Amino acid sequence: MTQGDLDAALLAAHAADDRRALVALYTQAAEAANAADATGFYLTHAYIFALDTGHPQAARLHARLKTEGREE
Amino acid sequence: MAKYLTDLAPVRAPLDRAHGLPNAHYTDPVVHAEEREALLFSTWAGLTVAAEVPEPGDAKPIDFVGVPLLLLRDREGQVRVFQNICRHRGMILVAEPRKIEGALRCPYHSWCYGLDGRLVATPHVGGPGQNVHPEIKRDELGLVEVASHIWRDVVFVNLDGTAPPFEDYHARIVARWADFDRPLHHGGPDSQFDLAVNCNWKLAVENYCESYHLPWVHPGLNSYSRLEDHYHIEEPERFSGQGSSLYRQLKGDQGEVFPDFPDLNPKWQTAAEYLGFFPNVLFGAQRDHAYAILLMPQAQGRTLEQVHIYYATPDTDPTMRARNSALWKGVFVEDIGVVEGMQKGRHAPGFDGGKFSPAMDGPTHVFHDWVAGRIEAHREKSLAAQ
Repeated sequence: MTQGDLDAALLAAHAADDRRALVALYTQAAEAANAADATGFYLTHAYIFALDTGHPQAARLHARLKTEGREE
Repeated sequence: MAKYLTDLAPVRAPLDRAHGLPNAHYTDPVVHAEEREALLFSTWAGLTVAAEVPEPGDAKPIDFVGVPLLLLRDREGQVRVFQNICRHRGMILVAEPRKIEGALRCPYHSWCYGLDGRLVATPHVGGPGQNVHPEIKRDELGLVEVASHIWRDVVFVNLDGTAPPFEDYHARIVARWADFDRPLHHGGPDSQFDLAVNCNWKLAVENYCESYHLPWVHPGLNSYSRLEDHYHIEEPERFSGQGSSLYRQLKGDQGEVFPDFPDLNPKWQTAAEYLGFFPNVLFGAQRDHAYAILLMPQAQGRTLEQVHIYYATPDTDPTMRARNSALWKGVFVEDIGVVEGMQKGRHAPGFDGGKFSPAMDGPTHVFHDWVAGRIEAHREKSLAAQ
């Protein structure tokens, strides 16, 4: 998926309030980012939507953010 | 110049010499604001019923006299009441009734709370991608919980946190209706309805707790439940109402009836009681069903009556339930004309609050005396604080 495709998919998921899709898409955006703070930003969004939806990835995302000093 | 806005001494006089509450208690916004604190915030007020959030994760926002509250059933099944605002910017957290799948996420900056009220996430609070900050102490920033207690499925709240524990404060009613301390099964959507009424909420209490009006306003009811079969119930400072010694069960076309609550004292075979529970809940208890009416003040002269009917078992006949709901709705609708008429009447200058019948208006006087006593105490406290 190109950066443009990912951006479009994120916007579409936001528009549809598809929060479970946002977990996956923001995780993908985090993997594609090439700066630590950008990765942290996208991971945070993935984590928040995972928390919101009771998504099974929430614990893993939290652990990763905590390891990086971005979460308690 | 009068020390206070209304003179409550005549209200507090013995029944045979007392007058009802002055007009301002129904028409003056300043007195309404006093009553909001003295009668609704500092007592155990009825908010809603627990049946409104039947499953874990169910959340329902409720505006209670202008205060945004959130009714929530947590993962363990416990019902809690919180202020429905985020600790960050005071944003309303939940705008419509819904199921919370995971955490409660504020729609503004996405601070997240557990269903137990704990603050669990503060995204970007320390800058982009940094979700912690030394000044953001999550364990101090949970949702503000409101004291609550469930009795007969009604969720009572004490908004200012000053009321004694519910079980202590209301021990007398709990004891009086100990016979009815059985599981209550809400009849579902066909057993609840709302009535929007153009009157002050207190008028609904006043009308409900006395039997004097029955033969005139409810002639159909009186045909089998006559005035002389009723008795007054008067418990100063807590509740008042009426009882009937001639309760007759609703019967279906084949003579079928609702099942009784188990192990009742035999006196309830033909008896029933109807209580105005101060401040704003009206209860009815009979051998085979019960109900609660929440009086939700919408403005000084407008009230939403929310009616919920309960049965002894979860599997009652839907046709019978619908018939029972229609019966009670018909009775309650008959009262609308008189409570709205009294509200209009309260705009007559110089009305002295009304002259009570010493024989028939005792329960109403008990309620007015309670209102007056709490308002007086509130005024004294406010004066002392100046």
